[in-house]
Amino acid sequence: MTKHKEAKKAGRAGRVKTPEALFLGELANQQSSKYRLAQGFGVLFAVSLVLQAWALANVFSDMALHQTFSLSLLVMGLFALLLRALANFARERVCTSASRDIRYGLRRKLVSHLTKLGPARLRIEEDAALSTRVYEQVDALDDFFSRYKPQVFMVTLIPCVILMSVISVSWIAFFIFMMTAPLVIVFMIFVGHKAAQANRRQFSVLAMLSNQFMDLSQGLAELKRLNRTDEARERLSTSASAYQKTTMNVLYLAFLSTATLELFASLSIAMIALYLGLGLLEILPWQVGSSPVTLTQAMFLLLLAPEFYLPLRQLGNDYHAKQKAEAAATDLLEIVNTPVSMSAQHQAADSVDTDSTASNRTRFISFQNLSWSEAGRHRLSPITAEIAQGERVWLSGESGVGKSSLLHLLLGFEENYQGAFFVNGTPFNAMKLDEWRKSLAWLPQTPEWVNGSIRRNLLLGIESPSEDVIQAALAKSQCDDFIQGLPSGLDTKITELGAGLSGGQMQRLSITRALLSNADVWLLDEPCSGLDEETAQAVLTTLDQASEGKTLLIVSHDTHPIAWADKHWSLSTGGLHQ
Amino acid sequence: MSRSSINKKAKLTLKGLLLANPWGFVIPVILGVIASLTGVGLLGLSGWFISATGLATAIGTGLTFNYLTPGAIVRGLAIFRTAGRYGEQVTAHNHLLGLLRILRLWVWDQRVAKDAANLHEQSRGDLLQRLVSDLDQIIRWPLVVFLPWLYALLSYAAVAILAYIILPNLLWPLAIAAVCHVIVIPYVCGRFASHSVHVAQTLGVHRRSRFISVFSALITLTIRGHWKDYAARLNQLDDRQRRMEIITQNAVSTGRLLGYIVTIGLLFSCFYLVSNYSDVTQSWTLADGVHGTWFVGFILSLLAVNELVLPLVQSFVAQGQSQVGLRRLNQLSQNVTPQESVDQVITPQKANQTQTTVHTMEFKQFRGFHSPSNMGNQAIDLAIKTNDTIWIRGESGSGKSTLLAAIAGDCLSEGEAVINGEEQSIYDNSDYQSALSYLPQSPYIFQQSVGANLRLGNPNATDEQMLAVLKAVALDSWINDLPNGLATLLSSQGRNLSGGQRKRLALARLLLRQSPVLLLDEPFDGLDKATIEVICQSLQNDYKPKILVLVSHIESRLGDDSRIIELF
Repeated sequence: MTKHKEAKKAGRAGRVKTPEALFLGELANQQSSKYRLAQGFGVLFAVSLVLQAWALANVFSDMALHQTFSLSLLVMGLFALLLRALANFARERVCTSASRDIRYGLRRKLVSHLTKLGPARLRIEEDAALSTRVYEQVDALDDFFSRYKPQVFMVTLIPCVILMSVISVSWIAFFIFMMTAPLVIVFMIFVGHKAAQANRRQFSVLAMLSNQFMDLSQGLAELKRLNRTDEARERLSTSASAYQKTTMNVLYLAFLSTATLELFASLSIAMIALYLGLGLLEILPWQVGSSPVTLTQAMFLLLLAPEFYLPLRQLGNDYHAKQKAEAAATDLLEIVNTPVSMSAQHQAADSVDTDSTASNRTRFISFQNLSWSEAGRHRLSPITAEIAQGERVWLSGESGVGKSSLLHLLLGFEENYQGAFFVNGTPFNAMKLDEWRKSLAWLPQTPEWVNGSIRRNLLLGIESPSEDVIQAALAKSQCDDFIQGLPSGLDTKITELGAGLSGGQMQRLSITRALLSNADVWLLDEPCSGLDEETAQAVLTTLDQASEGKTLLIVSHDTHPIAWADKHWSLSTGGLHQ
Repeated sequence: MSRSSINKKAKLTLKGLLLANPWGFVIPVILGVIASLTGVGLLGLSGWFISATGLATAIGTGLTFNYLTPGAIVRGLAIFRTAGRYGEQVTAHNHLLGLLRILRLWVWDQRVAKDAANLHEQSRGDLLQRLVSDLDQIIRWPLVVFLPWLYALLSYAAVAILAYIILPNLLWPLAIAAVCHVIVIPYVCGRFASHSVHVAQTLGVHRRSRFISVFSALITLTIRGHWKDYAARLNQLDDRQRRMEIITQNAVSTGRLLGYIVTIGLLFSCFYLVSNYSDVTQSWTLADGVHGTWFVGFILSLLAVNELVLPLVQSFVAQGQSQVGLRRLNQLSQNVTPQESVDQVITPQKANQTQTTVHTMEFKQFRGFHSPSNMGNQAIDLAIKTNDTIWIRGESGSGKSTLLAAIAGDCLSEGEAVINGEEQSIYDNSDYQSALSYLPQSPYIFQQSVGANLRLGNPNATDEQMLAVLKAVALDSWINDLPNGLATLLSSQGRNLSGGQRKRLALARLLLRQSPVLLLDEPFDGLDKATIEVICQSLQNDYKPKILVLVSHIESRLGDDSRIIELF
């Protein structure tokens, strides 16, 4: 039996493990001590199981034959049952705590990884979808770590313990168990393989159904305008019915694997009961006139029979946990496998160039043969250029040529660049990133807002200035008019504005924020791309007035030319043209 | 749907969920009960059978013992248990999928009955996502909570019959244990943990929106050096969630332990009730009239019942989660105003059949606005009649789009609207809206084929009509380049289309409707001159509406012979 299992295991290990399985295995290894403890409780559970069966079998046979029973044996049996319950309790607590440690640890890791990725995280997914991964998908691993994983051990342990205790009692019963156990396993593999496929299909079918529902719901306003809600309802209804039919076909098969186990469990109880009954009547065809077992032994076997298959059945029930976990692991791996290019950060502290003359020079940024490639793909072709302090540079170029990547470099989120890049004559990777970042203002395509009032967003991360300063900044970015029109002015919640605040107004507020932060270097990533032309021009004009005296690098398409820029850089795969 | 008790206006309740499709539910219940009872019976009968045969041999009646009948029953029970369990799972899941369909349609109906302004708020991706997972949670309720409870109850009832036959006194401990197992322990654990289950669910939502809010400002927070504080708060939320989880899980484990202890107590008291201590033999003897063989069967049945009872403890977690989900879903229906024209929405109403025509539209002191910011346009007077083309212009922020949305009945408005000489409330008035086609600033493209998207405008449109209308919006070369043509599937929210293409496709869909009034919000944004020219040409000839209202900041041929409304 054990050998059989080991052979199976070896065979399984020989197969190529999927990255998902490896990932889950690694996570489980973090908590290996807890899992070992759980296994210890599992052994206690199995032993008390046998003890309980033995004690109760004695009590039962005495009752049947002599109408009496021994109190001490009864107490021992019930005590073993209690021990079983306690072992189970402890095992559960250990396993759930292991699962919690794994999940909450993983979640922290994911959040900090996403933080380090910075703007690159959006290459994986948008924020809302990322939050689903970080929360829901991580929690989807729970059943796997708290139930499936420890159950795999019990599946091997309990049958082995039962077989060992049965062998001394009855060879026939031993053979009944031995015969059915591999059959169960073979059937499990045979049906289980099919069921796994079926399960996966059901998974994707359900996902499709949800997707359709989401799609139609998101466009509901449009459907209402088109007066087509009834058709859409019809569609939802018919496709749900159709999916129900196909899914059921899949499920008929999927449940066969559970049913097989159930059948073996039931039949072996029945077989053992019949065999033992006939044996006790001394009318077994090959053994007429003598009984192979005593009543006590018979009872012992009967009590153990259901327990033999129980762990396997539970594993069958928890099989979907594995499915769910692997599906989730696929999504999580995508986040984990997105590399963070922060290798240079450690050296930064050591090699700080304390060249005091450098800080006295006029602030300027210079790139020398700066390029950046990732996974063999050029994100930015080598460029050499300089920006003087107070200079305002317009950067244009086709999409995908690396304009945003250059900004991300300046923001300090991508440090695996090639070539050199100086700020104030200091190499960028030797600078104190925190101080450099404090001198930046960032105005992306969609303004960055947290939930809260306008005031809170404007003052995000800076010392609260006087009301006059705020009003001056508002006036300079031409926000004062519409802010005054709001019912609660600056204290209006950003989220409540919803559709009421136009894209142009949002960008203007970003300008206010940049002004209030007193940042010297402004980085702008297509601030006008979501706006119509007229609004865009107005915002650019405001920007011109507000950013006077600041060093500014603005990425903008040729459709929104920056007439007031001091320099125009045009970036292409060939390099930079001034 | 006619059979279902979940009707469109009713609130969702767990009871309603059970009765949603009662006949579909009966079969899994019966099968599950059969499987559970035969499972208990199998073990009990086997125990009796073995002890009876042992006894028979011992007292010398072994050769006359009728072993065929019990043997057959034991085999029968084994088969029934398997078949019953399999049938239960299959039929229960079938029922569950049916329930999913009914509930989705219910949510759909609730949302259809919503007015436009509230609808927007709910259409955000993550909210809908939550809705979908709530639904998945709720439909599991009968399977995870109700059925196991019913099985446990009925098994206890079956064992009680056996107990009565053996010794009526046994009913007392049995009843007490049953109450403990089926009601007290799940209830107490539920009370103990329900708070943390609810808090955890709410925290989950809170945590998620916090994550989105904080990450959407990641760079700004990082460069201001404030990221750490925000990330720490995110972690705090996570820790609170973790504490809630610990409470819940401990309650489950403890509940299960209590269940075992109750079983042990039950077994002990049963043994105590049926036996007497005799000083003579210095051992416990069964009372007169109690057959040891029967009693063995009874004890074995109790052990089988114990297995059925244990999952009940866990069900309160599912119960709590379902209730939270249910409450959230019911919030959908609460906001529907009572005088809402629900009936209009429900009665099938084909736009082409009952299309009302609009001849004149007159707006007095009319103003569209968004709630609650109250931002919108300055109130205006405007009269439109057939064959008019109106061009609304104005600075950004002057409320052009809001005014157009208000005219389309898509946005809250104040002032008078007189349609065909009759004053009407046009907001969310589907009768009125069926007469007009409104192109919003960012129209929605469905994840269907190009053809299916177009047919939303006119279900009877032929391929020729669709190709013609695509040509009218200068998408003919685009559709011809697609290998699958009209059958090409568009990705989620039309992401594989450019903004201009999306808008033109939506415009083509509207043109197929051929409604008398056409309201266009910035149709030319991001288009080149030649394309604008093609669209103007179409709107002035083949697809000329009776009334055209245009919001645009781009000069076009349409503007030349139109009345200009300037907003400030």
